[in-house]
Amino acid sequence: MDGVLSKEHIILIVTSIIVGTLARIITIKEDFRQYPSYPNGYLIHLVTGFVAAALGAVAIPALMTKNFVAVTFLTLAIQQFRDVRKSERESLKDLENTEYAYRGDAYIDGIAKTFESRNYFALIVALATGITIQLVDSKSSLVKIISGAIVGFLFLYILKRFSKGKTIGDVAEVNEAKIEVKNHELYVDGMYVSNLLGTENAAQLFQEEGRAVVISPKKDYLRVTLENFGQRQAALFEATRTLGVKRYHFTRRDFENGRVVIALVPIINDIEKLIEAVKKTPLLESTKKSESVMKTNMVGRE
Amino acid sequence: MGREANSEPKYDILALVTLDKNRILGGKQLTLLAKDEAEQKVMTADIAKALKADVVQMTSGDYLVIRV
Repeated sequence: MDGVLSKEHIILIVTSIIVGTLARIITIKEDFRQYPSYPNGYLIHLVTGFVAAALGAVAIPALMTKNFVAVTFLTLAIQQFRDVRKSERESLKDLENTEYAYRGDAYIDGIAKTFESRNYFALIVALATGITIQLVDSKSSLVKIISGAIVGFLFLYILKRFSKGKTIGDVAEVNEAKIEVKNHELYVDGMYVSNLLGTENAAQLFQEEGRAVVISPKKDYLRVTLENFGQRQAALFEATRTLGVKRYHFTRRDFENGRVVIALVPIINDIEKLIEAVKKTPLLESTKKSESVMKTNMVGRE
Repeated sequence: MGREANSEPKYDILALVTLDKNRILGGKQLTLLAKDEAEQKVMTADIAKALKADVVQMTSGDYLVIRV
């Protein structure tokens, strides 16, 4: 039987690939809001997820057959996942000029990193499934498959919990704000926002159809995150993509009390949807600050 | 949106519509002299529509047609 895979190894590999690919399928739905439902985009990520799962699945049989060198192909996997991140970033950057508002580099970076990490999910889940199937001491293949699948999905649950980020709604209040146009200048809840409404048409349009929300951080240190340009741009992008834009979209921050304004003239005039879109905007990894780290005494004390 | 560290603003002044001929000082932008406020508003709106640009009314009463 030299050179031919044994039945046990085939069961191990196939089960691991299936569980790993399922992990990718489950997590791609998590990204539905962040990523439009391009059928081809779906297919690309499912196939790379399948490849990731396959790489994780064959690692254990490779080790069991003392083929230690073959395990180095995991480095190839890492390179491949980096390429996934790179291609995702390039693809989203190419789309920047076609959107109502820019996603911004910080948001694109966050989305690209998420896509990369989801491939690691598939690899780790497949690997964990494979190890479990190998370790379970049972003559029944069914018992091995079920145990492998249980451990695989447990790993997926843990990884999802670990990588789950917060949203703006978790750290701030998002409320509807009052729009006023005084002398062709736009004010939201008394805050100056823009003077680009120089014509009467523009002023009237904003007065009648404009919608605005104010984001108020729940704690003072959260201002550092919420006032970050990339974070505000991400919130504006989500708002404009959810409701569309007829004309004008602004963000403005209030230095006195840390409020952030998002104002626009939407196509779908639904304030509840606007509030929901802003609340569900993810807090970007690149903008997050940990309060405990901020309290760290970096320079040391006597 | 104000000036931010990672976004260089690109403002183009496309036109200035004024009622005071002393403020016509040249430059890259188109500068037009209107005879009264009504004409000034119409001229500004026409240019802004044609160029798909935004309008700022300055405190002096002049109109700037700009593209952000």
